Amino acid sequence: MASEGELGRKWDRCMADSAVKLGAGFGLGIVFSVIFFKRKTWPIAFGSGMGLGMAYSNCQHDFQSPYLLHGKFVKVS
Amino acid sequence: TVAAFDSFRFVIKGSLAGAAVYMAYDQGLLGSGTQGAEALRKAQAALPPAIQEWTSYLGWEVRAAQLPPTPKFDFSPSDSWNKGVQTVMSALSVAPTRACEYTVEGWKYVKDLVK
Repeated sequence: MASEGELGRKWDRCMADSAVKLGAGFGLGIVFSVIFFKRKTWPIAFGSGMGLGMAYSNCQHDFQSPYLLHGKFVKVS
Repeated sequence: TVAAFDSFRFVIKGSLAGAAVYMAYDQGLLGSGTQGAEALRKAQAALPPAIQEWTSYLGWEVRAAQLPPTPKFDFSPSDSWNKGVQTVMSALSVAPTRACEYTVEGWKYVKDLVK
């Protein structure tokens, strides 16, 4: 596993996580807007912003942790 | 009874909102970066069969010639970026040579026209 490939993989993870968090924040913002806030727009923007903030924090943690290995558990039957 | 109905409505709304938040948490959408990437991969894997199921449910006959096979969403942003950078840099490195060649050819063409 080349080290320069590891940086590319971190960026890929970061982009994927950003898309997921943005979508989840947007979706939950819609849910809260419809249920509690009479279909106003601000909960949607708030949720999307929170999602982006969580994604940024995760990316920062991932890039600044050079010694953590991302592995998978493989069950040996 | 109006107060009871209002509090009942609030409980229902709270339950719905709580269920939505819990479902998002359970699917790993609010966790670490690795969990988010894994959730996206699972969604990408589940999308083509879902499209297939819905088109067949709606009765749309999809022949192989009309629609291409369900595309694989195996997109790597870092690979695409690196390829783009390499393409741009190699184009820039041969640009002066190509410019010279095209200038010579253009000049020759003009001279032939003028003859």
